[in-house]
Amino acid sequence: MSTQDKVKINKLPTGVPGLDEIVGGGLPEFSFNIIAGAPGSGKTTLAHQFVFANATAERPALYFTVLGESAIKMLRYQQQYTFFDPAKLPDAIRFINLSQAVLEKDLGAVLEGIIKEVEKTNPAVVVVDSFRTMVRKPQSDMELQSFIQRLALFLASWQATTFLIGEYAEDELRDNPIFTVADGLFWLRQTPERNSIVRKLQIIKLRGQDSVPGLHTFRITDAGVQAFSRTFGLTGHLKDPPSHRRLCFGIPELDKMLGGGVREGDSVLVAGSSGTGKSVLATQFIAEGIRNGEPGIVAVFEERPQAYAERASTLGLDLETPQKDGKLTILYLRPLDLSVDETMHSILDAVQKIGAKRLVIDSLAGFEMALSPGFRADFRESLDRMIFALTGIGVTILSTVEVDESFTEFPFSTYSISFLTDDIVRLRYVSIDGQLRKIMVVIKMRGGNHAKDIREYEITNKGVVILGKRLTDYQGLISGIPVHSDGSGSKEEPSMDTGIGQST
Amino acid sequence: MKAAPEMRDLAHRLLTYEAGAGKSFEPMGSPTLCVYEKLRKSLCEFVGVAGFQSLATRALTLARSEVVSLSAARVTADGSIQGLGEIETQIDMDKDRAGDGGDILIARLLGLLRIFIGEALTLSLLRSAWPGEVFDDRNSENGRKA
Repeated sequence: MSTQDKVKINKLPTGVPGLDEIVGGGLPEFSFNIIAGAPGSGKTTLAHQFVFANATAERPALYFTVLGESAIKMLRYQQQYTFFDPAKLPDAIRFINLSQAVLEKDLGAVLEGIIKEVEKTNPAVVVVDSFRTMVRKPQSDMELQSFIQRLALFLASWQATTFLIGEYAEDELRDNPIFTVADGLFWLRQTPERNSIVRKLQIIKLRGQDSVPGLHTFRITDAGVQAFSRTFGLTGHLKDPPSHRRLCFGIPELDKMLGGGVREGDSVLVAGSSGTGKSVLATQFIAEGIRNGEPGIVAVFEERPQAYAERASTLGLDLETPQKDGKLTILYLRPLDLSVDETMHSILDAVQKIGAKRLVIDSLAGFEMALSPGFRADFRESLDRMIFALTGIGVTILSTVEVDESFTEFPFSTYSISFLTDDIVRLRYVSIDGQLRKIMVVIKMRGGNHAKDIREYEITNKGVVILGKRLTDYQGLISGIPVHSDGSGSKEEPSMDTGIGQST
Repeated sequence: MKAAPEMRDLAHRLLTYEAGAGKSFEPMGSPTLCVYEKLRKSLCEFVGVAGFQSLATRALTLARSEVVSLSAARVTADGSIQGLGEIETQIDMDKDRAGDGGDILIARLLGLLRIFIGEALTLSLLRSAWPGEVFDDRNSENGRKA
């Protein structure tokens, strides 16, 4: 059978931001779906979003309520969400209560009640909330299976896309016939992790089309449910062809060390201990981008955007104007129970909004702290996904990471993430001639030559300034306690650092 | 506390409409019963019989605080109301309180709906049972927006 002979399944918008990407573009029309999860997991809200996104006066939605939350209370709370459009009631969305039939009659009568309303209304969407309470009365397995089978057949024949909502436990997955009949199975979970609550969504089953596997985080805000795909969408974003462009820091000597700058689309790690100037370097990187017409994003976790911009101004870098001009966004991400996917979503939104070419993550330690404890466990994996996705759309990422200064080793990161980065610039303190001075070295540049020089630098009111030529008179510089090649001591007077950027 | 004036106005419009709709209320016995039954039908579908019965009982209790003679009325298990016809006849004979019993009971019921689901949804529900002209401000006794 050729492609054009195959039936085309229309995909309906779910009305849930981020969920369409997870389900491969939308929910299959006429599918029979289950939304399962514990109380408070967002099942009803998700169903309402779908209903409000799809119901019209011509093809309305029928929302059957059974026992449990009354329609009045449901509407009282649901209308607080921004997606709720009261104008859709009652012509496009009709609420029908089936409690009496469920309480007083058998499943056959309940089915008859549903059939009667569906035939009368010709709905595009049917929701039964909660289906679990509808079938709670004791009945044989065969009776239940027959009811579900007939209900599914009838609703599909009437060209309705259906959601049955139920409070199911995961161990019921194997034996309950409802899960066999369903075309789509959406499982919502909320689990406490230390003091945070993490909500996750899984598409356990979706007939007819691919969906993104795994657990996706979601959040319930005043806009309803918002889902964050763990792979940032099924199709992802097409990777731009590799660019040969080099992005400069605007620090001529450093740019020379980097062979002209970092390659566009690279992930750069700037590692160093506290006060070595990581944030200063990152700020110069973003400011140079703006100077060259490359909009940028700075994701900060340890200080507020205003403070970040003010500190930049002490280096002569104006971050206020580009923010006003839409060339720079400083994102402050610090709610302490973030998932990487949410962070990604915020960053991706900002990237798309201003067409950002450069992104600074300052710092990875702050980023990790902002995450919910459960996500810290797989921080490396999450970071990998994030970097892959962002560099895939051509963004050049510079991340700063604090490393503990050691005089016996030369670590690049406390996260063992150097494999995730294309380029590494290492900053460190070194004891020379009775002074604590700073050196810089380019450790790695994937796909390009770079200088092997160890260079001394200072932080001045112009930012990072590389001094003189490479340090040739000392042995063991990267140990932090070098020895002068001729063994002589320093005769120089002590010099003073400007102190600018020492908070970094 | 008395029934909100806006709800009394809205109730009055519904009752006036039914009273003016010729003999449509006659099988019920009064415009109040006719409005009540239309609300019952519409709301039972929406919130279930038990849900409507609870709301109606609460509305009747609140209305009794304003019209003592409503004490003789009661809401049955299926949500219908008994004893309202007889009370309305008595009230009509009392010139001082003419028509108030029905107005207030309906106003209280509508007031509860407004409290729970808001004015927009309450009006949406009513619009499915009554024609739009009933809610036109020009038909309001005092021009107040419902």
